[in-house]
Amino acid sequence: MSTANALRSWQPALRRGWQSTVRNLNTSALLLTLILSPSSYRRGPRAVIAHHVYLGTAPMLPWFTLLVALASLVLIHIVVVTAASYGLSQYALETVIRVLVLELIPLVSALFVAVNVTLPGGVALSRQRAMAQRGSPAMAAPLLAEAMARVLAGMFAVITLAVVSCVVSLVLTYLVVHGLAPAAFGAYTRKVGQVFNPAVTLIFVLKTLFFSLAVSLVPILGGLHPAPMRAGRAELPEVQGLVRMFFLILLIEIVSLVGNYY
Amino acid sequence: MIDEPDNAPVKLETRAAVLVAAVFLLIAASVGYLLYARGVFERTQTVVLLADDSEGVVVGMDVTFSGFALGRVSRIELGPDGNARIVVLVPHKDAHWLRTSSVFTMERGLVGGTRIRAYSGILTDPPLPDGAERTVLRGDATAEIPRLMNAARELLANLQTMTAPDSPLNTGLAHVGGAAAQLRGPHGALGLLMGNEADARKLITTLDRTNALLARLDGLAARADTQVFGEQGVMPAAQATVLQLNGLLSDARASLKKADAVLLEAQAIANNTREGTADLAALRGEVESSLRKVERLVNEINRKWPFARDTEIRLP
Repeated sequence: MSTANALRSWQPALRRGWQSTVRNLNTSALLLTLILSPSSYRRGPRAVIAHHVYLGTAPMLPWFTLLVALASLVLIHIVVVTAASYGLSQYALETVIRVLVLELIPLVSALFVAVNVTLPGGVALSRQRAMAQRGSPAMAAPLLAEAMARVLAGMFAVITLAVVSCVVSLVLTYLVVHGLAPAAFGAYTRKVGQVFNPAVTLIFVLKTLFFSLAVSLVPILGGLHPAPMRAGRAELPEVQGLVRMFFLILLIEIVSLVGNYY
Repeated sequence: MIDEPDNAPVKLETRAAVLVAAVFLLIAASVGYLLYARGVFERTQTVVLLADDSEGVVVGMDVTFSGFALGRVSRIELGPDGNARIVVLVPHKDAHWLRTSSVFTMERGLVGGTRIRAYSGILTDPPLPDGAERTVLRGDATAEIPRLMNAARELLANLQTMTAPDSPLNTGLAHVGGAAAQLRGPHGALGLLMGNEADARKLITTLDRTNALLARLDGLAARADTQVFGEQGVMPAAQATVLQLNGLLSDARASLKKADAVLLEAQAIANNTREGTADLAALRGEVESSLRKVERLVNEINRKWPFARDTEIRLP
């Protein structure tokens, strides 16, 4: 009897959750379709996309790269020195590449873009949506285009930061381990090739892609469909979106780890 | 800030296009580098290594030659005979290091992964053909552990058997202890050697009698010494005899010299005689010829008158 009562009390919440999930999935599919549609890149919308893509990536690219380079230097040095002290120098390079390039950099890039670009973008979109609701319903289409541009900008930012940082980290790893001598380039390339086998490369690409999707879509969806304030729950809708995004990132990371190492 | 529309959208579009192009270029370069690192652009030949166990071998691992990566494992499959077939791709530019006499080893250390190594002893041999199959020699440090453990277990069991209370070693040691006790006994090592007291006593008596005999022999030797080497002993007489013999020998030597001289003279005489004999033969010839002449003369005279006579012999 008590179980039936509990189910009855959870029913509206479950229904709301289900409806919200379906709606978010629909909107995500719509946004991804818009991203993949050539018509989205016509002159008018292209300006908006260019605006978000450039301003969402270019300003933070140099200092994020610098930050990653510094952190990478410290981490590479720690791993190389520790491996050497245990007489396992031959494994240092592989460890550095795996830890830095495969695991840390995509995650840090996604979180960085989420904090700097997509979460503020979601809030701004939410404000625009509120203004549109107060105004005419004709503003719904530009709102969707704006959301698509922000999602694309977020994805592009994550991928750009990840790629640039990975390249910088690989170069720094070579410089720390071998110095400026170009003689070890062949052996280093071989080692990189060993680490990036087809399965690992596929998982790396998919992980980066899904990270970019998660950090771009979740805040924008929160801005497009803000969850109503619930009784007994003090979180703001933005915080709920943040939690959802972190949960997704965690899930992707776990799945990628399982794929890589099991 | 990013929500503010740019005042110069065209300029921003250009920048965005440049950024996107740069990122795509970087991605393309990265993909190209990874493909190069994976050896996609290399022309390769295959070497199939046959092993009874491919544990620890992973796709992508290196095959080294003198510490340099020579090729990489591209596929591992189970052959129809139950052996593992490790297919190794070797770039053409490095394939000349592999010869028909090359040996491949697979080592598995206690720390780290499995390593496949190639050794080419004779680099003048013909190069290894594409698709060649070679049996890989295994050197497994971890595989040695069970064998080592078995050997250690056997050793411990042997030790246990040796140190058991009724073990031969313990019995032997007990006997050694008994022998040592006997050594410390009144008859010492003799008692240990003889085994019983009576025999030991017999030996001691024998030794005593031998000692007495030796004392008598000593006296005998002293007397013999006096008789042989004393003033009236054999040796001085023998010495005098030897001296006399020396004198005799000197005389004999002088006589022999004389005889030698006589022999020389006799030899000279013999020579003269030989010469004389030779002359005698000539003389004899001459005498014989003279006699023949005289005989012929007498015969001649006899045939002449008045000396002729009847020479006819009449038979009765």
